Amino acid sequence: MSHPNYVLETRGIHTRLGGHWLHRGVSFSVPRGQVVALIGGSGTGKSVLLRECIGLLRPDEGQVRLFGEDIWSVGLRRLNQVRGRFGVLFQEGALFSSLTVAENVAVPLKEHTRLPDRLLNELVAMKIRLVGLPMDAAGKRPSELSGGMKKRAGLARALALEPELLFLDEPTSGLDPISAREFDHLLRVLCDSLGLTALLATHDLDTLWGMVDRVIVLHGGRVIADGPVDEVAATDHEWIRSYFSAHSGERTT
Amino acid sequence: MDTPGLRCSTDESGCDLRLSGAWCIRHLEAAEEQLAGLKVPHDQPVRVDARELTRLDSAGVMLVVNRLRALGVVWSNVSLHHFQPAQLTLIHLVADRLDARGRPRHRKRHPLRFLGQWSVDLLRRFLAQMAFLGQIVQAGWDLLRRPGLLRHRELTVQLQTVGLGALPIIAMMTFLVGVVFAFLLGIQVQKFGANIFVVDGIGLAVARELSPLLTAILVAGRSGAAFTAQIGAMKVTEEIDAIATLGLSPIQVLVLPRLLALVITLPLLTFVGDVMGVLGASLVAASQLDVTYYTFFERLKSVLPLNTVLFGLYKAPVFAAAIAFIACRNGFAVSRDARSVGAYTTTTVVQSLVAVILINAVFAVTHPEIPD
Repeated sequence: MSHPNYVLETRGIHTRLGGHWLHRGVSFSVPRGQVVALIGGSGTGKSVLLRECIGLLRPDEGQVRLFGEDIWSVGLRRLNQVRGRFGVLFQEGALFSSLTVAENVAVPLKEHTRLPDRLLNELVAMKIRLVGLPMDAAGKRPSELSGGMKKRAGLARALALEPELLFLDEPTSGLDPISAREFDHLLRVLCDSLGLTALLATHDLDTLWGMVDRVIVLHGGRVIADGPVDEVAATDHEWIRSYFSAHSGERTT
Repeated sequence: MDTPGLRCSTDESGCDLRLSGAWCIRHLEAAEEQLAGLKVPHDQPVRVDARELTRLDSAGVMLVVNRLRALGVVWSNVSLHHFQPAQLTLIHLVADRLDARGRPRHRKRHPLRFLGQWSVDLLRRFLAQMAFLGQIVQAGWDLLRRPGLLRHRELTVQLQTVGLGALPIIAMMTFLVGVVFAFLLGIQVQKFGANIFVVDGIGLAVARELSPLLTAILVAGRSGAAFTAQIGAMKVTEEIDAIATLGLSPIQVLVLPRLLALVITLPLLTFVGDVMGVLGASLVAASQLDVTYYTFFERLKSVLPLNTVLFGLYKAPVFAAAIAFIACRNGFAVSRDARSVGAYTTTTVVQSLVAVILINAVFAVTHPEIPD
């Protein structure tokens, strides 16, 4: 019943948080290779939806299918196997503060593969370069890194196990516009060349216009628009109009 | 069919490498074995063919690129055949990124350098301690001149958590130690039929050493650790910076109330400890040594001079000041990561215990006279 080409599918997600319904039937599907942005005002439950998709928070109702498996009914063992096939970049990078960048990237490799140290170090060095970090960042601790470097290091860790799917929570928040565009570019390049599917929760309009194939708008607990950026931007809905005009005004002046 | 394979054939026009199977992270070791015995003439063109390749990921690409490079093959001499367009972009990206920079440098640690680093760290820490002490003294002086600066709310909250909160545990501990001490001492004095002398020993030990020391150790573990963790967590969430930018002194707001609360409550807790220790001992004396409560306390009145009790109580504020100073100082030294809070909390407990025991030793040596 699930489409084989869909990497991620959600069906009728209902979430009740703090006494009110945050999601009232959220459904969408993401085909392989697509980069999809999830937008919505603060408090509309983008991050919550993301946490439900990666198996951290159980929705009150509804299904989340990753690679065709209903992750909330398969049990923890199977879920952890599915977890090996996707990577997550958390908002602040969520790097382990007691480990160096290289050790952080090595954690998933050490846990899920039995590679000899030599190969492991080679892989770690490659991932660190792949996300555009200088090699001398490898020996640094997260507290010694700038915000942009933390995100890159987090991305390197997320990519360590060659995932097919990437979840990103606000990948450009807290970055200056130049670093944010560089990060967008990096993400797009990586998604294209590694054949990644990506779902990102974001507030950044430039990310939407710059690198995303499709936009899903979350409002009032439902998906109110879903499609390419220019189509969504042209949707006649009050919130969407003010969302997209909030920036275009700035841009023309 | 997933097992990675490699066939190599060399002729005058160059070298053909035929990749087969899945060259990806799950089979990386097998793939590396395939490449292990590879010999490629490094001045001739290398043709890499992907007709039988089933899967390729960045780990597989890295392996091919790195091993060919290690054999001295110049990447521009390598031509790629029958790869899918997506695989080609992947290969170009990885080859490009791997080319960009040299190997990671491993920092060597010379022992002398280590020693130097350690000494400089030690000196820096000492100076920071002194600076912190100076700040506290200054804040204390300000407080004396303008008592209105005192944060009443914070002080009462601390008095409650540090003092009242510690009351049950301290009462129980000192009571039990009194019981055990009287029991063991009782066995000894019974041998000489000098049961009543258990009172002399207990009075002196509890009032002069046991109660002040035990209370200080308990408070160091309980409140000292809490102070460091609280202040450290506030440092992590930048609350201390917020206090400073609001024009308040973090020392006035955070350190002085804690210091005062500890200096006030520790003598009181010590006194509770004195009472409970003696009570515990009297229980044992009455039940095991045939010393009635009345006899016990009559004897205590005549053999335990007030000065001994006061001496024990004098020590308490000094312990308290040392614990509070160490705990707050370590709280402020926390850096902005999760590990640091734990590390400094541990440091606080260790340092304040050592400090309490050292200070106690100094008191014992400088006041050797036992009044009778």
